[in-house]
Amino acid sequence: MMSSVPGPDKKTKLLVYTIEECPVCGQKTKRAFAVGDYVTKDSSKCPKCSNVTRVSLVYAEGVKPSS
Amino acid sequence: MLTISSAVLQVSTSDITTYLYIAFFGLLFIVQFAFGTRLQSYFAINEIGRGLNKLKVMKDKARKDAIDYLVNVGKASNDPTQRVDQFLDYVTIMPVDIDPSGLVGKIDHVVTTNNDRVRTEVGALLNQTNPVTISISENLLEVATSLNQIHKIVRHFYLLGKKTNSYFTLVQLQMLMPMIIQEADALLNATDSFKMGEPVGDGIGPVVVSRLMAGKEKRVIAKDTMMAVTEYKGRKLYVLKADGPMAYVGQPGVAIQKIVGDMGVKPSAIVMIDAALKLEGEKTGEIAEGVGAAIGGIGVEKFQIEEAATKAKVPLYAILVKQSLIEAITVMRKEIAEAADRVTEVLNRVIEEKTKEGDEVVVAGIGNTLGVAQ
Ligand SMILES: [Zn+2]
Repeated sequence: MMSSVPGPDKKTKLLVYTIEECPVCGQKTKRAFAVGDYVTKDSSKCPKCSNVTRVSLVYAEGVKPSS
Repeated sequence: MLTISSAVLQVSTSDITTYLYIAFFGLLFIVQFAFGTRLQSYFAINEIGRGLNKLKVMKDKARKDAIDYLVNVGKASNDPTQRVDQFLDYVTIMPVDIDPSGLVGKIDHVVTTNNDRVRTEVGALLNQTNPVTISISENLLEVATSLNQIHKIVRHFYLLGKKTNSYFTLVQLQMLMPMIIQEADALLNATDSFKMGEPVGDGIGPVVVSRLMAGKEKRVIAKDTMMAVTEYKGRKLYVLKADGPMAYVGQPGVAIQKIVGDMGVKPSAIVMIDAALKLEGEKTGEIAEGVGAAIGGIGVEKFQIEEAATKAKVPLYAILVKQSLIEAITVMRKEIAEAADRVTEVLNRVIEEKTKEGDEVVVAGIGNTLGVAQ
């Protein structure tokens, strides 16, 4: 489920992302935020070294509407 | 003959126009003079009325959101509508301030009593014990209560101004209306982030501190507040933040008092990291440094920290991340999240500059820890 909130100028939507960071190799991956995510949570396997990644940040970023 | 009459006619037409002109502006002047304020009041009443309607829609939505969350996520066993409505009108009576000595302790007592009450009542309402859900419910009810209060107060002055035909009451309210709506809008937007359990902009301090706490042994140092001991370049750091990922702010004041008091730690510096309201025109995510206790709220925590620091003669340093009110209480913006690395750099520099090896340092991440564990 993708969470979004209205942006500062109402036209831009803010989409919420979760950033996972591998504590071993430092690989960062960005995916859509899912309910239950929180910073420091153990997340999916690292695509590079298959260690368990941790959520390092959750943030919202503005996307311009495609229309 | 013909030329003369047309000339006469010409003169009289232009005269009439002139008189009409004078009469029109004269009338306008009299109307403006006699009914000007009444007209202004009329416009003000209209504008405030429209704003008031908006506020009503907002407070109803916040109330509905809270009820829906209690039912759908909190699995409230009975219909919580009536209970929520009682909640919205619950009052906290602040202690008397004509004898100010010891006032902070009294305020603390009243506020703590209220916070405990909210948690127990919400806990009893829900059919589950997940602390995150309970804390989110608390926050949603708080938002609904705030919006309810705002609506009530605006309505009070609107009706009072209308009843007494008080031009100044109405015009003042009219001028404040855009800012009131903006604040109410921010509160309403906050419910969306809270429901999802997303970190809010105010949580930047906890985000930075959580990195220092990760993998360390944590202990409860005050209500809803966690502490860990770690090390940085030969300094012993006592790091604290509210207990996440619940939507808590914790009691950093009590925690710091305990660290420098009961635990007998002699820190050479207390560094506080917090979100700070930016001024219009300032950039979101900008970092400011300063001295003093960086903490908002009613003032109890600030007082406790200042007192503890003064008693122990420990300098207080502040690292602030600028953001607007709406950014502080809604999902954390990228600009704010990405300030975390820079804040860590500043923190390291402050520690290196202000303390030496072997020293003890307290680092506090202030703010709501929703979506930020440790
Ligand atoms: Zn890896």
